[in-house]
Amino acid sequence: MGENGAGKSTLGKILAGVLRPDEGHFELDGRRRHFHSPLDARRAGIGIVHQELSFCPNLSVAENLCLASLPRRGGVLDRAAMWARAEQFLAEVGAECDVHAEMGRLTAGQTQLIQIATAVAGGARVLILDEPTSSLSAADSQRLEELIGRLRRRGTTIIYVSHRMQEIFRICDTVTVLRDGRHVATLPTNQTNEDGLVRLMIGRPLSKYFPSHVDRQLGPQRLRVESLSSPHKFHDVSFSLRAGEVLGAAGLVGAGRSEVAMALFGLDPDARGRIFVDGRRVRIRCPGDAIACGLGLVGEDRKQQGIVPEMSCGENLTLAMLDCPGRRGFFGRLVRCPASPRRTECLRLWDVIRLGDERHVVSRFFGRLRVKAASQEAPMATLSGGNQQKLILARWLARRTQVLLLDEPTRGLDVAAKAEIHRLIAELAGAGQAVLMISSELPEVLALSHRVLVMRQGRVAGIMSRSEATPQRVMQFMAGCGVSAAPVPETTSRPANGESPPDLV
Amino acid sequence: MENESPHSETPAASLPARPSIWSRLLRIKETGLLGVVLGLGIVLSTFGGSLEVRDRQSGSTHTVNKFLRPENLDKLAKNTSFFAIMAIGATFVIITGGIDLSVGSIYCLSAVCGAMFLHRYGPAGAGAGASPVWVVPAAVLLCLGVGALCGAINGLGIVLLRVHPFVITLGTMAIYRGIAFVMTKAQAYTQFPRQFTDGLIRYEAAGHLYPVPMAIMLGVTILAGLYLRYVVTGRYIFAVGGNEQAARHAGLPVQRVKLRVYAFGGLTAGIAAMIMLGYYGSASSDAGKGYELDVIAAAVIGGASLSGGRGSALGALLGALIIQIINNAIVILEIDQNYSQIIIGAVIVLAVALDRLNTVLREKRMTLFGKMRPR
Repeated sequence: MGENGAGKSTLGKILAGVLRPDEGHFELDGRRRHFHSPLDARRAGIGIVHQELSFCPNLSVAENLCLASLPRRGGVLDRAAMWARAEQFLAEVGAECDVHAEMGRLTAGQTQLIQIATAVAGGARVLILDEPTSSLSAADSQRLEELIGRLRRRGTTIIYVSHRMQEIFRICDTVTVLRDGRHVATLPTNQTNEDGLVRLMIGRPLSKYFPSHVDRQLGPQRLRVESLSSPHKFHDVSFSLRAGEVLGAAGLVGAGRSEVAMALFGLDPDARGRIFVDGRRVRIRCPGDAIACGLGLVGEDRKQQGIVPEMSCGENLTLAMLDCPGRRGFFGRLVRCPASPRRTECLRLWDVIRLGDERHVVSRFFGRLRVKAASQEAPMATLSGGNQQKLILARWLARRTQVLLLDEPTRGLDVAAKAEIHRLIAELAGAGQAVLMISSELPEVLALSHRVLVMRQGRVAGIMSRSEATPQRVMQFMAGCGVSAAPVPETTSRPANGESPPDLV
Repeated sequence: MENESPHSETPAASLPARPSIWSRLLRIKETGLLGVVLGLGIVLSTFGGSLEVRDRQSGSTHTVNKFLRPENLDKLAKNTSFFAIMAIGATFVIITGGIDLSVGSIYCLSAVCGAMFLHRYGPAGAGAGASPVWVVPAAVLLCLGVGALCGAINGLGIVLLRVHPFVITLGTMAIYRGIAFVMTKAQAYTQFPRQFTDGLIRYEAAGHLYPVPMAIMLGVTILAGLYLRYVVTGRYIFAVGGNEQAARHAGLPVQRVKLRVYAFGGLTAGIAAMIMLGYYGSASSDAGKGYELDVIAAAVIGGASLSGGRGSALGALLGALIIQIINNAIVILEIDQNYSQIIIGAVIVLAVALDRLNTVLREKRMTLFGKMRPR
């Protein structure tokens, strides 16, 4: 067990030969092993079922099952043998399913069973299951547990990664807790309980941060979201955000937090719901609309959604502000932003960037955020992750964005860079920005947030004030255990009927 | 704090000075290409041999360098100008991570449209005697307009259908050429007004030098280079190609940028078609067959990365020049014509391999730099 990012999946992948260890070794049956590929590991008897389902949806069940070693006769695929072998594999795990069916058409539960069948097929003696139930319904989970029981009786060693406490205590004999990529404890499950595990998993001193912004007076309501829904992603999400407030969003991976942020930023065409900015109802259909409303999103995946690696870091910083109408200048508009971040209607063909002004803007933010770079012209890819993240944040600050949606702002950063980002977030909130901070690091959420919003399986499980949000409580909401499933009612989820929603903090 | 005028702020002290102009010049890719061009030029003028030329007036003969003689350089410049202009358009497209296979066909269609128009108002056409004051500008506009329109149609298809540009432009490549074929009924159009050919494109400066195609090429290169560096849309082109998702997250009008880029690609084909019409004084539906490959090759040799985010106008020009010099070299060095395709192909592969090597080396330097940085 362990929090998101504790290193569980990485460890599993190393064991299964997907990743290579930087140093150290592991032993299988008392022998030191080094795997060069997943196939190596498989031959040695280690099977893995990854958290993200990995299969070819366009191939049939039988083809997927036998993909590693397709039966051949004279160099040609022996289809009959393949089907027979697939039937046998499925029978081994007790799954009933048509081997001719196309993999992509099966339900999540069936797919999961077939994945396990694939892993067990080679006669795996060690089976690694990485959050196998995260996408399964209760009935499918039940079947999976039965299967695990059967495999166990057969003598298979199973490493079971999960966030669900009850499963751990039902299925497992011993439990190992990881935290920040380190081994914390290994103990028999009957010598511990849920609270004990939570303590081991969090286990960090929370007093590391000294946020000053939490005592400040909050400003007026900036953003209100009412019953925002998107099919298969999240349902009926409502919350509000005031100027100067940091709302932390906690939840497991896949709980729908990032999806909500994306929908707010106009990146989800299926999202439905009401969004109010400064009390006015707005329609957000594309990121341009969101930016015009004063929203800015720092995406979860810096590499994919944030940086343009080959452009210089200065150009990366000013990317979102080039369409702002300027106050003065030869060609009418340019990089300097006016007080109102209203977007211009059309990108004109001949709007010239005033490079001199751009340099000034960039150097001002480099100084203010203490960005370390060889020069403004250095390609973004040469910067460290922390500096890249600062520049992505600065992209919105330079545009004078009112509401910041930060999705895992400190993911993959080292301790010093994290602290800097935390300081920056606190500073921004102190200066009156409204911040929605999605984070999988509980201490971060608890330390920086005025309120904590917990999501579970696409719904708001609860919103707590800073004083109510203890690690245990948030964890319980996240995993959906211990507390009754009824969500804590949030005041703003009521339909707006003229009266302003009462304060929560 | 953001309201202060930019001049009152102190620049961040953490920034070291910009590297000197020479070290930056050395790192620029175009410097290397220019070196290749000069090197090829020196090799050709040294080993190309010379030619006996009889002077028309005095009747005396004198020897001239085969490569450096004015007629050859003029031909080189003219041939380069078609491809360089189209390669600049292709570079814009490639920087956004796209590709335009239909340039040759757009070139053909716009040449054919211009040719039919000019033929009609030429000495043998139905509209003979029309004032060149409006015929010539109208012909120019027609060529450019048809080119830009075809390009915009490409762009619309890519943006609206969200299909890979390869597929769309593969289709339009056939469609545009087919339209040209049907329009001309496979017949060549000639006999244009003299004011368009000899008066404009083939305007003679000194002896046999025709500087107009080259001037247009240089003009397009300079404008395109400035556009990429100084104009918002130019910056967006790089952003879209460098990381389209990040560009969308930063709120850039990605689709509009793409549309513009393809329209510009078509426009450059239209410009090239106009030059061709004026220079050769004829056009048929065969014009520009296979040009798309030479054009893309020029862009790639010029440093445009097919995965997007990299490329320059000057690079495209130099890339086109290198291809033409090699073609020229095959003639001058009296190599069998049949080898020309093999040589050009090898040069493309070599250029891309060198570029790849350069990228790998740079990435290595970057990681070293990252590791050396104190935490």
